[in-house]
Amino acid sequence: MRDVAIIGASTTQFGRAQWSLLKLMAEAAHGAITNADLGGRKIDAVYVANMGSARNNRQAGIASALVDRMNLYPAAADTVENGPASGASAVKNGFLAVASGMCDLVLVAGGERMREVNNIEATEFVSFLSHRYAEYIYGITLPALAGMFARLWMNKYGVTSEHLAMVAIKNHSNAMLNPNAHIKMPITMEGILHSPDAEMNNPYIAEPLRFFDCCPVSDGAAAVLLAPAEMAGEFTKKPVIISGFGQATDTQAVHERPDPTVLTAVQIAARKAFDMAGLKPRDISLAELHDAFTILEIAQSEQVGFFPEGTGHIALEKGETQIAGKLPINTSGGLKAKGHPVGATGVSQIVELVFQLRGEAGKRQVKNPKHGFALNFGGFGNNVVATILTKGA
Amino acid sequence: MEHTVNAAKCMKCGKITYPTHFYCPACGSTDFGAVAVEGEGTLLTFTRAYTLPLDYEDLYLTLGIVEMDQGIRATGQLDIDEPATGIRVLASVGPVRDVDGRTVYGLKFRAV
Repeated sequence: MRDVAIIGASTTQFGRAQWSLLKLMAEAAHGAITNADLGGRKIDAVYVANMGSARNNRQAGIASALVDRMNLYPAAADTVENGPASGASAVKNGFLAVASGMCDLVLVAGGERMREVNNIEATEFVSFLSHRYAEYIYGITLPALAGMFARLWMNKYGVTSEHLAMVAIKNHSNAMLNPNAHIKMPITMEGILHSPDAEMNNPYIAEPLRFFDCCPVSDGAAAVLLAPAEMAGEFTKKPVIISGFGQATDTQAVHERPDPTVLTAVQIAARKAFDMAGLKPRDISLAELHDAFTILEIAQSEQVGFFPEGTGHIALEKGETQIAGKLPINTSGGLKAKGHPVGATGVSQIVELVFQLRGEAGKRQVKNPKHGFALNFGGFGNNVVATILTKGA
Repeated sequence: MEHTVNAAKCMKCGKITYPTHFYCPACGSTDFGAVAVEGEGTLLTFTRAYTLPLDYEDLYLTLGIVEMDQGIRATGQLDIDEPATGIRVLASVGPVRDVDGRTVYGLKFRAV
């Protein structure tokens, strides 16, 4: 197997797009391609991460459509659908194509245009991820699963609504430093929990989770360009190496897990990624976690191995996960504030790590990072991909 | 018409699974018989969900996970005004959703 480098990375503005899904993905892809100096070399294969184009945007075969829109024929093209973890799954497939020696230059683009339909339809479309007969028919949505998970977690570990709000406040504050973030609005504990207006500003979505515990519905696209590490120097001065991947699945119905607070797929995916990279959680300089709901950042920060069981909220409280802390988490603003265009998310987490490892993250730059970790969480944790990136020599 | 929600009982090792899987999680067998999800249980967790799919006109739905005395867990709707974790509940089967104009039946729990 060959080592694989990321030689180009790019993202569009997240939020409400003025462009079609294809134009969004083409802009991100173009950004990644021009980020490298290809000297006229052609792209061998394209992997596209997307969950809902056929339903929400009336375009099936989105990978072939992107190749056509960009004029990248005759590159091989495949769509990768793994729900909200489509992005990291697509990067993994691109990695395998290069690592195997089958391809040299591989483009991975993730995109979603969810705001082409209304918010209720978007929530409904995401709820298709749940078990059709044991969950979906009851009106289960992802926020409802997260609410039931949050209640268990909070009772078990003494986590409070204030802790959840701290995740949102931190990630909103990080997003203020990210020009491409969807939500650029500072929030305070007073404003979202304690003021007389808090009930109006921050109503329950799925108890105990409130509005500011949930990610927005976003449009956006992100892309990376991959090449064999041994050739990366021809295309860029700042290659970033994909040093570890791990992926694991778990039961689709959350109720079937022996302990529903244990995200087994998160634990296994992270362990596999660390094993492949030959690294430990303490070697990681920064992490992008899948905070579709605030509770998930706390839970994942423990279950991937950064903090001991039951102490993620304490590390958060101490500021350890802030940009200047010991282990910055979600410097991009996370799904919470950068936004969560589902197909784009996993790719955009990796793009943020690339910007940070290259020292190009502007005002949110972490000091001298070496290894970055990303966790992309599909369904409600039934298909999880962990990725570790390492700054190139 | 009588509606039931079925779990699968492995004909080889007796393990009950819900929902059903092609292979028995305990012994790998593919031979199952239907057994109704029924009786009493204990409420493990719940939520009142306010952002609902298009098929509902309610202000909110109360949803929960119940540990059934028959040894499985089940997700369903709660007909309980003030739910609390740990309370005892009884399962019944009733209308839970309209999908494309067709009524879907499923598990509803009330306090005992």
